[in-house]
Amino acid sequence: MTSSEVRVRETFVELADTLVDDYDVIDFLDMLAGRVVELLGVTACGLLLADHNDSLNMVAASRESARVLELFQLQRDEGPCLECYRGGTSVRCPDLADADERWPQFAPAARDAGYAAVEAIPMRLRDTVVGALNVFSARPGALSPESAALGQALADVATIGILHERTIRHYETVTGQLQTALNSRILIEQAKGVLAERLNISVGEAFGVLRNHARSANQLLGDVAQAVVDGTVHLTAPQSSDPTR
Amino acid sequence: MIENRATRVWASIHARARADGTGATVQHACLACAQATVAAGAGLSMTSGTGPELMFATDSHAEELEELQFTLGQGPAVDGADGASPVLVADLSAAEAWSRWPLFAPAAAERGIGAVFAFPVAAGAARFGMLDLYRRSAGPLSSAELADALAYSDAILVLALYDRGGLHAGVEMLTNGDLAERRAEVHQAAGMASIQLGVTVIDALARLRAYAFVHDRGLAEVAADVVARRLRFSSDAPADNHADESGSDRPQDDGKASG
Repeated sequence: MTSSEVRVRETFVELADTLVDDYDVIDFLDMLAGRVVELLGVTACGLLLADHNDSLNMVAASRESARVLELFQLQRDEGPCLECYRGGTSVRCPDLADADERWPQFAPAARDAGYAAVEAIPMRLRDTVVGALNVFSARPGALSPESAALGQALADVATIGILHERTIRHYETVTGQLQTALNSRILIEQAKGVLAERLNISVGEAFGVLRNHARSANQLLGDVAQAVVDGTVHLTAPQSSDPTR
Repeated sequence: MIENRATRVWASIHARARADGTGATVQHACLACAQATVAAGAGLSMTSGTGPELMFATDSHAEELEELQFTLGQGPAVDGADGASPVLVADLSAAEAWSRWPLFAPAAAERGIGAVFAFPVAAGAARFGMLDLYRRSAGPLSSAELADALAYSDAILVLALYDRGGLHAGVEMLTNGDLAERRAEVHQAAGMASIQLGVTVIDALARLRAYAFVHDRGLAEVAADVVARRLRFSSDAPADNHADESGSDRPQDDGKASG
């Protein structure tokens, strides 16, 4: 087995381990987004979920910089994720330099952010598309067939992670569970804002502080976010903080 | 347009408001929602420190069911108070419903209710309350009805925020305002403003909306300014505290506001 095959195996073991316990859906997706970047050899990854208005909303990203988040935001109106969500199949753009006509807003914004290629992989539950996994590369070129297949497998795991969260709740439908995931993300954004203001750091850094605290204290990310908003826990700033980042 | 559902939902609320000759209110939204989801009645309760409080019911029947939940401490509005997800009970006579709500389920069934669906009127930690829909016959909401109910819950949150911000909802100010609630920076800004003002996140969100309205700017744009630290709220100067524009030589966030 090659080292990358070992890493793939380790990742699936890690993801499966998380799913059997009580887990935080956003933390799980955040970890998964990081693994996608590592295993597919891409530069950035984000997961977008559809809401009841059929709009796409970012729920997790491998990096939380404002510029990257803007790329997900733009895809409410145009871009590979929207096309992927509507069509139910992968959408690839191996060279963003050729995509201005197709995506007049998204393509230049993605290039400005330093990306040359983009791909969107559907997140499906049977015949329903619930969102898309979005990968960006700094260099042009499409994912290899192996990487694309691995990407789809990881997108499927993400879907399972969202829709199976705490199955003890009865009567819940897919819509309800998507709603829960989207709402968890909103709570985290609010907690990021609270922390950014309290610690005088950027909201991107605030996410790191939240996540690191959740992991080191072995708490659910959502619980930490709630405690931060409620003011019942006070976290400290990272060593080198730069509020402009 | 992608936002067909939200547009249609707002149109139905405004139609009711116009018929009454007033601005849109949460009452109009509850009535329109009950009609759109073929519910016998709807109740809106507000989350408070001492438990849920009735804010509006479409009729006396719905009001009784709401009060019943509060008295018994059981039911969808009580379960959903954490604001995380809808509570959907398609058959109140099923054993599952009775074991979940041993007092409320039979009492509601006795009053001719077959199904109840409750939706948080909330965004993250900004929890306003719950919208309960009561139906006479058992059976799930269709996926379109479910999506409609969620869109009405969004609309009720927006109306409630305007109300808290001391603004009367006119027709134009709302039609495009609802979707901004989904933007990440709106919630980041609400978190930041809550600390600046020393208020809850829901009150901070109301202040952001009020500020955007008073200054005739988009909510997302105002939020981006707060996140980039070009705009601060202060508890001393309640409504208007525009940051000094000369501060533009400060290093800026790479997600700068448009315009």
